[in-house]
Amino acid sequence: MSGPLRLRALLAHPANGRLRFVAGPDDAAWAGVVVGADESELANDDDGSLAILTAAAPSAPWQQDALLRRVRDRGYRGLALPHAEDFGSGARAIALRLGLTLLDAARPVELAKACWQLVEARDALTLDYVRRIARSFAFAADDLPGLLRHLAANLGHGLAVVDASGILHEAGGRLGDALRAGIATGTWIDVVRSGESAAASVRIDSPTRTGLRLVLFGDGLDDAQLQALAVAAEIAMPAVAARILIDDVAAVNDAAVSSGLLRDFLDLRGVPNAEVERRMLDRGWRTGGHHLGFRILGRSRLDTFQLLRLVSRETGVLGLAPAHATTSGRGVSGWITFADPPGPKDVEAAVSALRDLHTRVRRSFNVATGVGSVHIGSAGLSSTLGEASDAARIASDRSAMGWFVRVDSLGLDQLLLAWTGSDTFLPAAESLLAPLRTDRNDLLATLSAYLDHESSIAATAAALGLHRNTVAARVHRIEELLGIDMASPEARLALHLACRAVKK
Amino acid sequence: MPTVLDRSQLPALARGFSLLGSGGGGTTTMLELMLGRAAAWPISVEDPQDLDPSTPCLGAAFVGSTMLLGERLPGDAPFAPLIAAVERWLGQRIPAVCSLEGGGLNGLVPLAFAGERVVVDADCTGRAVPGLDQMSLFVDRVPGVVVACDTGAGGVMLVSTPRAIDAERIIRSAIIQAGGTGGAVFAGFTVGDLLEHAILGNLRRALSLGQAYAASAQMPLHQLAAALGGRLLGHGRITAVEPDARDPHVKCIELAGARGEVQRIVARSETLAFLTDGRLEASAPAVIAVLDAVSREVLEVTDLTFARPVAAIELPAPPWWAAEPTRLRKVVPSAYGLDELDPPA
Repeated sequence: MSGPLRLRALLAHPANGRLRFVAGPDDAAWAGVVVGADESELANDDDGSLAILTAAAPSAPWQQDALLRRVRDRGYRGLALPHAEDFGSGARAIALRLGLTLLDAARPVELAKACWQLVEARDALTLDYVRRIARSFAFAADDLPGLLRHLAANLGHGLAVVDASGILHEAGGRLGDALRAGIATGTWIDVVRSGESAAASVRIDSPTRTGLRLVLFGDGLDDAQLQALAVAAEIAMPAVAARILIDDVAAVNDAAVSSGLLRDFLDLRGVPNAEVERRMLDRGWRTGGHHLGFRILGRSRLDTFQLLRLVSRETGVLGLAPAHATTSGRGVSGWITFADPPGPKDVEAAVSALRDLHTRVRRSFNVATGVGSVHIGSAGLSSTLGEASDAARIASDRSAMGWFVRVDSLGLDQLLLAWTGSDTFLPAAESLLAPLRTDRNDLLATLSAYLDHESSIAATAAALGLHRNTVAARVHRIEELLGIDMASPEARLALHLACRAVKK
Repeated sequence: MPTVLDRSQLPALARGFSLLGSGGGGTTTMLELMLGRAAAWPISVEDPQDLDPSTPCLGAAFVGSTMLLGERLPGDAPFAPLIAAVERWLGQRIPAVCSLEGGGLNGLVPLAFAGERVVVDADCTGRAVPGLDQMSLFVDRVPGVVVACDTGAGGVMLVSTPRAIDAERIIRSAIIQAGGTGGAVFAGFTVGDLLEHAILGNLRRALSLGQAYAASAQMPLHQLAAALGGRLLGHGRITAVEPDARDPHVKCIELAGARGEVQRIVARSETLAFLTDGRLEASAPAVIAVLDAVSREVLEVTDLTFARPVAAIELPAPPWWAAEPTRLRKVVPSAYGLDELDPPA
């Protein structure tokens, strides 16, 4: 069918008087449009126009049938009027038989205006879109998605911000993959069609991010609408670019503030402080409940703000809410809060999601991740973040564990060992055990085994393949060399840790 | 020339009246059974022209629900107390009887008086209609017409009014009081009045329709329609039976035609109009008879149920109705408040 006024374009028009297709051919195109209060105001010899009636449709089935018949007999190929959706199956079948497209228009005068824009006043259509964009700016937007939502709601079409990798933000509809793939990346303005869908896009000139495009899209748009949308995209683009910049600045600032707050909180070491609590509440950080801390630590130099941005985005994708994260030192610290005591399954699910997060982050950054155990309350938050921090430090040289360590799976001994590996303990251990460092280190090995086997001479002898008397003699000699009473628990613990630290 | 009816012609006559019932008027079975054992056969039916115009005449009919009539059987002489009342009111015996409603079971009612009164071949409607104010004597405002009816438990009421709608409303309430169905007798007019203010020869028409139907019932539908002197409006399966949103008495029956056409029968207690694809094909006072497309049984509106294959045949309206606009106004669909269904002027 040919004609300047297509049904699809009219359905895609954002202000079409709530037009709905009811019956008849659904690919209609009309030569023009005629508006009347009722049927008597229509011409008798029309040639394929759309008739818009402002009077409501009759309710009796035979009157509906007869109305369709008469409008078609007058030469019209389309009829739009209020309450056409009430037409029964018989009348709908007649509409199809007669080749008359039946449409329901809740506001027929608005529909008439939409038709006029599409047929005669394309500049008015463009101007209408521009005015709608201007109207969107009157409403304060919190961020870029908010701005896009405002624009989409006012325009009545879908909006998206895309780059080469995919869709970054979307509002008011879903941009089909085929359509997105067709959008040119380099040019200033681009218009693309894919099946029934069409999109107009414009390059976003942003100083902070490159390769972004603002896309306006919809189904059934005709050329006039698409050209008008291209202009609309040009008008909206600077606002979108500015918004991106504002969001970036706000995010950097926000990260700095939240990072400082977390530092203040951790400095308290679990001691309650009303002022810090209030600031945390202001940020939406709840200290009540059960917390699972995590820390993503850079294994090399990295931009912690970019890391935080990635982490924030990915936690949203992974459904890790309610999770909070902020930059801290060389990495990002964060925690997940459970309002109710989490069961083992909940914790496992959260840890598994954090492992996914770690995997995703590692694609862009060289990081190690540590996860604490679940603790309750304000003090607990401090504890779990401390554990996560320790675990992250361990993880940063555990390639075998995929640079991911969780305190619960680590075990207390690993943690102790992590501490003993510190710069202060190791020299002390070395000097403590220095008297045992002979050529063959027999005494050190014996002491280690002896302590590992609960100070049992027989078990140590079996483990080392020696005679009991040999072991007893060596233990005696060690006591003499170190000048330590092995019966003392404190002495045994210190020696045991020192052995482990030195052997590592 | 009197028409002499033989008992063997009764079924054909009854089918003829069923067709003229236009989907209403009630099933004739009860009257066929009553007349079947009457002693008066063969029955002679006089033309009104052959009688003295001053001969007083009465008309009798069952009023109310014809379905109830099948549940509460009428007695041997259901009209006797009513006739006694009008004769007492008028002060004379009434020797002639005509029919009031020439469609459905009431077409056969005058034959029940054969033997005691002269049966005149004249009718006050020529088809089934729902209201007593639509009787031709009332439509033409014949003066002096009185109506008697049952009020239940043997009670009788007589109404004498120059305003037809009053008679209709009062008698309708009396019939409701009587349990939903009862008899009504019109009197106070003469055979001479019938010549101008009634449909003549309706019984003969019913007989010839019935005979044509009996001979052609199994022929193809359009041939059957032609044999009946009518026109096949359409046939198809019933795809919807919807009550009207404004008037619960009105039903709209949708038929799916063989070639996909959308056909509608608009009906109250009788069929009133037939449309194909939104174009009005026929409407009252034309008789729209509905037949089962397979068995060729003559159907009433209540028989039009979902998925039944039916055929609609238009039989010409009695010309008496179209002779004057005032008459036509009383029987076209707009008389019942139905818009856009009146036959084109």
